[in-house]
Amino acid sequence: MPSLYRASKSLKSHRIPFNLFHINPNFRRLDSTAYLNPIFGWTQCAFFASQFREDPSIDLNQFPSDRIRNFSIIAHVDHGKSTLADRLLELTATIRKGHGQPQYLDKLQVERERGITVKAQTATMFHTHKYLGTDTKFLLNLIDTPGHVDFSYEVSRSLAACQGVLLVVDAAQGVQAQTVANFYLAFEANLTVIPVINKIDQPTADPDRVKEQLKSIFDLDPNEALLTSAKTGLGLEQVLPAVIERIPHPPGNSSSPLRMLLLDSYYDEYKGVICHVAVVDGTLRKGDKISSAATGQSYEVLDVGIMHPELTQTGVLLTGQVGYVVSGMRSTKEARVGDTLYQTKSIVEPLPGFKPVKHMVFSGLYPADGSDFEALSNAIERLTCNDASVSVTKESSSALGLGFRCGFLGLLHMDVFHQRLEQEHGAHVISTVPTVPYIFEYSDDSKVHVQNPAMLPSNPKNRVTACWEPTVIATIIFPSEYVGAIITLCSERRGEQLEYSFIDSQRALMKYRLPLREIVVDFYNELKSLTSGYASFDYEEAEYQASDLVKLDILLNAQPVDAMATIVHRSKAQRVGRELVDKLKKFIDRQMFEITIQAALGSKIIARETVSAMRKNVLAKCYGGDVTRKKKLLEKQKEGKKRMKRVGSVDIPQEAFHELLKGS
Amino acid sequence: MMAFRSAFTPLLTSAFPTRTTSGTLSLSTFANSLTEHCTQTVRQNVSLLDLCKLPPASAYVHLPFCRKRCHYCDFPIIALGSSSDHHHDDPRISSYVETLCREIMATNSTPSSCPPLQTVFLGGGTPSLVPPRLVSSVLDALSSKFGVCGNAEISMEMDPGTFNAAAMKELMGLGVNRVSLGVQSFQDELLKCCGRAHGVDEIFEAVEIVKSCGVENWSLDLISSLPHQTPAMWEESLHLTIQAQPTHVSVYDLQVEQDTKFGFLYTPGEFPLPSENQSAELYKMASRMLSNAGYEHYEISSYGKTGYRCRHNTTYWKNKPFYAFGLGSASYIGGVRFSRPRRLREYTNYVQALENGVADHTQSEGIVEPKDLAMDVVMLSLRTADGLDLKSFREAFGDSILLSIFEAYRPYLESGLVICLDEQRRNVAADEVMSNEKLAYLRLSDPDGFLLSNELISVAFAVICP
Repeated sequence: MPSLYRASKSLKSHRIPFNLFHINPNFRRLDSTAYLNPIFGWTQCAFFASQFREDPSIDLNQFPSDRIRNFSIIAHVDHGKSTLADRLLELTATIRKGHGQPQYLDKLQVERERGITVKAQTATMFHTHKYLGTDTKFLLNLIDTPGHVDFSYEVSRSLAACQGVLLVVDAAQGVQAQTVANFYLAFEANLTVIPVINKIDQPTADPDRVKEQLKSIFDLDPNEALLTSAKTGLGLEQVLPAVIERIPHPPGNSSSPLRMLLLDSYYDEYKGVICHVAVVDGTLRKGDKISSAATGQSYEVLDVGIMHPELTQTGVLLTGQVGYVVSGMRSTKEARVGDTLYQTKSIVEPLPGFKPVKHMVFSGLYPADGSDFEALSNAIERLTCNDASVSVTKESSSALGLGFRCGFLGLLHMDVFHQRLEQEHGAHVISTVPTVPYIFEYSDDSKVHVQNPAMLPSNPKNRVTACWEPTVIATIIFPSEYVGAIITLCSERRGEQLEYSFIDSQRALMKYRLPLREIVVDFYNELKSLTSGYASFDYEEAEYQASDLVKLDILLNAQPVDAMATIVHRSKAQRVGRELVDKLKKFIDRQMFEITIQAALGSKIIARETVSAMRKNVLAKCYGGDVTRKKKLLEKQKEGKKRMKRVGSVDIPQEAFHELLKGS
Repeated sequence: MMAFRSAFTPLLTSAFPTRTTSGTLSLSTFANSLTEHCTQTVRQNVSLLDLCKLPPASAYVHLPFCRKRCHYCDFPIIALGSSSDHHHDDPRISSYVETLCREIMATNSTPSSCPPLQTVFLGGGTPSLVPPRLVSSVLDALSSKFGVCGNAEISMEMDPGTFNAAAMKELMGLGVNRVSLGVQSFQDELLKCCGRAHGVDEIFEAVEIVKSCGVENWSLDLISSLPHQTPAMWEESLHLTIQAQPTHVSVYDLQVEQDTKFGFLYTPGEFPLPSENQSAELYKMASRMLSNAGYEHYEISSYGKTGYRCRHNTTYWKNKPFYAFGLGSASYIGGVRFSRPRRLREYTNYVQALENGVADHTQSEGIVEPKDLAMDVVMLSLRTADGLDLKSFREAFGDSILLSIFEAYRPYLESGLVICLDEQRRNVAADEVMSNEKLAYLRLSDPDGFLLSNELISVAFAVICP
């Protein structure tokens, strides 16, 4: 069972029709419209979300903060987080059993296909529990988080609204790399951790071994672990009581002036920006005037409510509660995640913000057909409305025309962004080889932050005095027989071992400092194939390190192809150059002249191949004057050329760009 | 680009001061003068835009019968079966010819506006399987419908082993004055591999009949790049062809078509077919040997002794209009290309509809897009050694398209795949092209440019229709 992030549950819930999307009978009548609506995923969701619900039975005044618990579920991918969330929603009758589609909170198509959570989602549940001797109704906010490290930004913002987490571990697979990373996020945020050993119905389940791991790695009391099977329902009844009894209630002060944390936002085409907020102190009411600590702008609260799990109007949110606010913001850019919103005219201390977004991977995105620039531009704009964590700047390439340089949180984030562009917005893109942000220093004391290798001069006027590259601390957990293979892999990738231990009798844990560049492209795949899929991997960003970096140019008939330039460690230049040149040779068709493909460091050629000139076409005759067929053939040939990208006079098929992405 | 423009300007202003005179001549004026003089001289000044709208003076007639289907063939043919060698009384042939004549007679044309035919091409199939008396009825129909000039070129495709001296004589008596002999190869093993119904002996017999009967103008047709064909075999075929002294040689490059036996068996470029390079070498060998033997390589697949170009095919390359009759044949009338049904039953229905006046494609005034026309002109003229006539092209389609084509061809002018010629058909060096004021023709070089004609023509297509 491969346990890397890419080993997703991708086959589980392919292409579920829209009419399963929403189970509330009130929305049924909209189904036919929904079917006709070609927009997928989130947009679809937002469309429904705009049909606000009112539920007069909900009176939030019944829930002072000591009757509220805010918690999150964290887990390694595929350990059952989303299924557990579904069960809890069913258990509290928030959704009807068997009527929702699985993984209710994973609303994006990409999330369902890959079996991952990308956007944090929130659901409010009500649960009655015998508390201090009496049946008491509690309000529980479940904040679902992305599991992958790329989205730790999302995780940290979700955790900021929680007081505790359910740490879900697969009873057979045990602790994996993301379990470790997510545990530490929760631990650093000072949250109560409730270990949940899930999937205990599996024949290979070994909960005792997992308990030992929890003890040895996290110092968690094995007796506190809940044993569950979200699939069969076994042990689920202990979960919510544990949440209520072990997790502290939100600490805010209801009599203080309003302070709330902006957790997330998205754009709804009917209502405008919808913000998810956690009320830390005070009370928020419809009609209130609120201001943003970050921008200073003021808004009127037009609508307020909870996610139950659809947006449900309540007109009020009390201290400790989590819900949504519609306040007439025009763009999600006004809704800065981590911002503090407060009552206009009151004076408050802003809440500590979230970790700011840090872009780890950059890549150029270009329309596959040059004339589609406007379409791509629109698609990116609409998508970034819901994913503010992507940075976008215009750039142009002589080979690919006008496009965008985009910064991503990580590789998965980049992949997901591409996939959403294609699936939800129908954009066809060519993306350039991903790069990491480097810093180059020159003898005239100038400093260049490089997000696009093409921007770096190949033959700089001033001598390079230092280069810096970002690194990560990688955690790898794997069966101990693979120790040798992993050490070899990491040292090939210029890694420095920081830790080497055993988490139990069969599994080893290693920590490495690795240059980010070395894991950007094919590290995961390599790791997976080396360990037959048994290794799990996660990383956190670390500081920059000095490194001997060079710019590697690719030249076609002596003309550099800007979109193919890359920055590599000097020791790798020869190998990477050779690989790129070989790959291109395979993908560039013969043309009416010889094509030289070269890899160069400055003016020094380090690899070279030639594609010999085409000699002959099929010279079909125009028999009996039937020129129509011949013309069609030639027109097809013309169309084929049109799809190519041209550098100088050399036509490069789009596949060549796609292929270069796959490992270099 | 600017350099180009200024270089062309003098040409532009001086070249065709009287554009309006030729451009505004009405069709009927032309038609009248043509019927009176039965000459091409007037036509030579017709704009390319109007040329295709003139009444045709050429006719292609499809006679689809074969003994069996060759393994490379995807033409609309009717295989008679090789058991009977004599097809004189085959009702399938006589019935088809009857339908064919009905089509000719039902074709819409006004006798006054219709010039007599200058060229007739009886193609197939294997027209020589059609008994001469039936060929006669076809020619009679053409003659009575359109008239046939006294000096018209009447070509007929004939296969070795399908005719004797008597038949040849009879056909000549009917007016057939050009023979296109389907030899394909001089190696028995290759003929067999192609599924040809004749051997090498029959080739020599057929050549002997043609020559002894005094057919002065005849073509020997070959196919290159056949499976298992070696350079030595090809050289032998070319030698024997030259020895036979035809006035014309056609060399067709094998094209592997889907849904043919070859299509199932072989992949282009892979054994037993020659590689791209080997195939190019075969083409070059033909070009070299036939040119040395005094044949002019006047079109990608055609070689002729001086004065013996195929006049009928020249109609195609000049984008002139032509009639077509018979199964699956393609006509070009009034700027409209129309292909007849490829199945006999549907073709018969089509003729019936034509007679009833409900299927008259030939006279429909289709709106001809200049861009389509320009692509046709480029595609067809660049197949020839004459090349693209810059004056008439510019006059019809404007200066800017031509400039863009030159711009797109610049690397190929430099590498010699494309050549510019002046009025006297002298090469203009690539670096002088931009400044030379006497550019008159643009052509593909022989053999390298011809070999890459698809690529080069599609480059021009991309300019004309981006």
